[in-house]
Amino acid sequence: MSKVIVVTSGKGGVGKTTSSAAFAAGLAAKGFKTAVIDFDVGLRNLDLIMGVERRVVYDFVNVINGEATLKQALIKDKRVDNLYILPASQTRDKDALNTEGVESVINELKEDGFDYIVCDSPAGIEKGAFMALYFADEAIVVTNPEVSSVRDSDRILGILQSRSKVAEEGGTVKEHLLITRYSPERVEGGDMLSMEDIQDILSIPLIGVIPESGSVLQASNSGNPVIMDKESQAGQAYTDVVARFLGEDVPLRFVNPEEKKGFFKKLFG
Amino acid sequence: MQLKGEMSMLNVLHIQDTDVNKVCSTLEQKRDEAPQFFMQSPLVIDGSELSGNALDLDFSALKEGLLELGFIPVGVRNFPEAANKLIRASGWAIMRAQQAPSNTADTKSEPVEEKAVQAEAKSENTNPATQTIGMNSAMTVDRPVRSGQQIYAANADMTVLAPTSAGSEIMADGSIHIYGALRGRVLAGAQGNENARIYCQSLQAELVAIAGRYQLFDELDTNLKGKPAMIRLEGEKLIVEAL
Ligand SMILES: Nc1ncnc2c1ncn2[C@@H]1O[C@H](COP(=O)(O)OP(=O)(O)OP(=O)(O)O)[C@@H](O)[C@H]1O
Ligand SMILES: [Mg+2]
Repeated sequence: MSKVIVVTSGKGGVGKTTSSAAFAAGLAAKGFKTAVIDFDVGLRNLDLIMGVERRVVYDFVNVINGEATLKQALIKDKRVDNLYILPASQTRDKDALNTEGVESVINELKEDGFDYIVCDSPAGIEKGAFMALYFADEAIVVTNPEVSSVRDSDRILGILQSRSKVAEEGGTVKEHLLITRYSPERVEGGDMLSMEDIQDILSIPLIGVIPESGSVLQASNSGNPVIMDKESQAGQAYTDVVARFLGEDVPLRFVNPEEKKGFFKKLFG
Repeated sequence: MQLKGEMSMLNVLHIQDTDVNKVCSTLEQKRDEAPQFFMQSPLVIDGSELSGNALDLDFSALKEGLLELGFIPVGVRNFPEAANKLIRASGWAIMRAQQAPSNTADTKSEPVEEKAVQAEAKSENTNPATQTIGMNSAMTVDRPVRSGQQIYAANADMTVLAPTSAGSEIMADGSIHIYGALRGRVLAGAQGNENARIYCQSLQAELVAIAGRYQLFDELDTNLKGKPAMIRLEGEKLIVEAL
């Protein structure tokens, strides 16, 4: 059974695309046939973060308009087997997406035996975001530890549970909270909301906490999903997210301020 | 256009124009004359003095406009039945007046509590599957009420088994019980029932109202913030008591 997972947030710039790329690459690395779709029509950058921008010939909108087949538009990742990217168009706007078109693409992916279809949502609560979440079975709600991001996530959760297809049919979209750009030091200093505060407000299950990390920018500049960087804390935290998503019980890491290692600890610790 | 405080303190806005921009800009002036009084105030729209065709009125835009101005759009009344579909589609409650709509309502006071109500459960944003109106006319909400959502229990009490978020709004004609944290707006006795009460496990509401008497969180005179509390009406005053 294929599953459609939307990565969404309401607020912009919180790490949806970074998370979509890492999550999809992580699932594929575990052996699941995975497609990741860029719903940010007009502002495509999933292909950049995944390092496939020079291989984009056809895009999501071309497929919807019948100008290309899905096979022609899907880009097979060269690093990870089982990973496919469906890029967004840069020259259209979000109105180029429509429910029937999106549905037919998703159905075709399902028929092609994809285990997971990851939808990278654009920011906002307008058409593009709505299209990205409409067919979702599960949602990863990406939230930064600040009030406005939490409020927007709350808003998007309301939309998810009332306007998605599953909700319209009386069901529930499974919700996962992913906190990104978390800085335990700044939480301790009182500049940022703590993960407990965020969970308390949103009251949905936590799937992971990704620390603020310079390796994320490095990774996206080099076109490698950060999950492939086994040295980086963000990459390791995304690996944990994938494991938890697949049902493993993995403790949280990188959520407490780092101990300032003294000289002796560095030597012997 | 006249803006009148009525007995229940649910303000009623009599509109004459179908031009939403015009309505909103006039209302903005009124609001700025007495911002303390009108800010965040629940508002009912009355169409009995409307000169144009009600079907030309963009009810969604009206609602958005009112929200932007800081009002809480509650419901509409005295619009022709032909507009009902439009009205409901835009997420308004329909309040039906008992007496025939009067044309010159300038001086007459029309307490909302005397209205027989045929309010419809509304809210585009709410999944109807989560709420059921049972035999005892109580609505149960078992999922969090999120920012931007509105839930209305018409002619019923409401029980919420989950938290309500800042920016959400729950409303009932009867009493309201909230077993999660109460962070949004809560309006009990929405049609003027002064005996309606609000019971909650953690009082953090942005606004509480009973039968139209409302208070913002900051104005609440209580040390029970964040604690279990009951709110009732005594005369014109909202009383907050420990549960
Ligand atoms: N854990 C992290 N640590 C440091 N920087 C991060 C982290 N996650 C994301 N970023 C940075 O934040 C910026 C926005 O990330 P990204 O593009 O993934 O967000 P988005 O939610 O997809 O944005 P949009 O709403 O524009 O689509 C990027 O510059 C990215 O490098
Ligand atoms: Mg993005």
